[in-house]
Amino acid sequence: MAVSDLAQTSKAELSVRGGRVDAARLSMLALVAILLLAPLLAGGFLLYSLSLCFANALAVLSVSMLVRYGGEVSIGHSFFVALGAYAVAIVEHRLGLSIVVSLPLAILLGAGAGFVFAFPSRRLSGIYLAVATMALALALPEILIGFEKFTGGFEGLYIAQDLIPGIPKALQRYYVALGVLVIVCLALAHFRKSAQGLALLMAQAQPRAAEAMGITRSWARISIFTLSAALASLAGALTGFASSTVSPNSFTFFSGVFLLVGSVVSLNRLSLPAALVGGAFITLVPTYLAQAGDWVPILYGVALVVVTLVANAGDLRRFLPRGRGR
Amino acid sequence: MMEAGTSEGLVAEGISLAFGGLHVLNDVSLTLRPGVITGLIGPNGAGKTSLFNCLTGLYHGQRGRSSFAGTLLNGLGPAQRAACGITRSFQNLAMCPDLSLLENVLVGLTLKRRSGWFSAFVPTPALRAEQKEVERRAMAALSELGIASAAHDKPSDLPPGTLRLAEIARAIVCEPRAILLDEPAAGLNAVETRDLMRALKRLMRPDLVLLVVEHDMDLIMELCEQIYVLNFGQMIASGTPAEIRAHPDVIRVYLGDDADD
Repeated sequence: MAVSDLAQTSKAELSVRGGRVDAARLSMLALVAILLLAPLLAGGFLLYSLSLCFANALAVLSVSMLVRYGGEVSIGHSFFVALGAYAVAIVEHRLGLSIVVSLPLAILLGAGAGFVFAFPSRRLSGIYLAVATMALALALPEILIGFEKFTGGFEGLYIAQDLIPGIPKALQRYYVALGVLVIVCLALAHFRKSAQGLALLMAQAQPRAAEAMGITRSWARISIFTLSAALASLAGALTGFASSTVSPNSFTFFSGVFLLVGSVVSLNRLSLPAALVGGAFITLVPTYLAQAGDWVPILYGVALVVVTLVANAGDLRRFLPRGRGR
Repeated sequence: MMEAGTSEGLVAEGISLAFGGLHVLNDVSLTLRPGVITGLIGPNGAGKTSLFNCLTGLYHGQRGRSSFAGTLLNGLGPAQRAACGITRSFQNLAMCPDLSLLENVLVGLTLKRRSGWFSAFVPTPALRAEQKEVERRAMAALSELGIASAAHDKPSDLPPGTLRLAEIARAIVCEPRAILLDEPAAGLNAVETRDLMRALKRLMRPDLVLLVVEHDMDLIMELCEQIYVLNFGQMIASGTPAEIRAHPDVIRVYLGDDADD
C-alpha cells in the first residue's frame, strides 16, 4: 500500500520536474538569445560594461563553485583572477601571442597555483582556510609591483591583440566573454551530474560517509580548490581581454572580498542568471561606491564582516531554497 | 582451524582501544565468516560502535590486528578499506540532502567509475554509456531493497525507513565483499524493521561478509546465525542464537536487565 502510494507521488513529481526543466531550458535559451542580439541595440559604454560583467560573472562562479562543492569560503580569489589577467598581458607583451594561446595557459596556471595553495592547506577549513586565502589577496599587490619588469608595475600593461583580426574590438570583447560564460555554465550543469561532482557534494555534506565510499577529504579539498582557481584564472584572462588593460588597481585586497560578496548576492548559485546577477553587482557597485570616497574601505569592511558571519558556508546553505541542488 | 579463519572473511584479533585512560575495548577478537550473517550486540556503552569503527578504519586500536581475506588492514583508513571491498552504513543517516536518492546511491559507485576529469565537464559518448550503466546498477540496488519508486525524491521528503534501506542500497551497489551495518534498525517502526530484515536476508550470498551491530536483541536473534556479545569493552560470549540465549553471562548482563524492565 505504502509502496504504491510512493510510486504515484513520485510519478506525479516526475512529470512536474519534467515541465520545470523544459521551462527552465526555454527561459535560458531566451536569455542567451537576448544577450546575443544585445549588440544590435546597445553600443559603446554599455557593451563594454556588459563584457566586463560577463568576465566578472565567471569570477563570481569560481567562488560560488568553491562554496557549493567545497563548503569553503575564499577571500583571496582575486589572486587567481589576477594570475589569469596578467598571463594574457604578459604572453602578449613577451611572446606576441593572442588569447588563443593565453586563455588555455591561464586555465593551466590557475589550476597549478590552486593546487600549490590547496595542497599544504588541505587540512584547513572554514574560517581558517578563509584567513589563509586572505594572505594571497594581501600578497598580490606587492607581487605585482615587485615584479615590475614583467607586470609593468603601477601602470600595468595593455592588451591590444584581437582574437579574430578585422572584427570590431567591442564586439570581440563582448562575444568572447559571453561565449565563454555560456560554455562554463553548461559545463557546470554537466559537472553537477558527473561522478566527481556527486562525490564532492557527498564529501561536503557527509565527510565520514564519503570516506567510507573511498572519497577522502583531502582529495575533495584539493580538487575543488584547484578547479575553482582554474575557473577564477579563466575569468581573469577574460577580464583582461574585455577591459584591454591590467593594473594592480584592479586587484586590490578588496576585490577578493568583493568577489565573495558577489557570490553571496547570487546566492552561490551556478546558473547563468545567478552568475549574471553576481557579475553585474561587482561590475556596477564599485563604480557607484567610488563616489563614496573615504567611506569605501568602511563599506567593504562591513560587507566582509557580514559575509564571514553569515556565509560560513554551512550556515549559508540553510538560507538557500531547497530543491534543485545547484 | 585459525588459519582458515584468517585467510577468509574479516578477522579481528586482540583489539584494544583506549581514549586516554578510558579503556573502551579490551583484547577483543571476532571472526566474520562469508555467507553468515553475524550479529554484534551489547548494552549501551559496551563498545559496539568503537569496535565497529575499528573494523572500518575510523579508529585504530592501540593493539591487535585485523585482516580481510588474508590482507592485513592495520593502518588503513576508511577510504583504503573501502577500496578493499568493505562498505558500511551509518547509525545517523548519512545522506547528502542536495542529491536525490538515486544520486546518493550513485556515489557508492565512485570507486568503480572510470570517467576522468575531462568528461566531468564535457559530455563524451563513453561517459554517457558509463552513466547509463551506473544508473542501471543503482536502480537495481534500490529495487532489490524495494524502494525504486522513491529514486528521484530528495532525502528530506522520505521517511527514515526508506532512507535506512537507501543506505544499505548504497552499501551494496558497488558489490562489496563485506558489509558492516551500524544499528540499521535505529529509529524504525515494527513494519519497517520487518522490511529491513527481509531485505537483509535476501541480500545474503555465500561469498558475502555481513555484520549487523544492534542493541535490539530480538532482531539479532532472528536475523543472525552467529552472535557476539560485548560488555564493558570485553567479548563475553559468542555462538549461535540458541547458545547465546542460554549463556549465563549474557542472561545476567543483557537479557537479565531487559527482563527486569
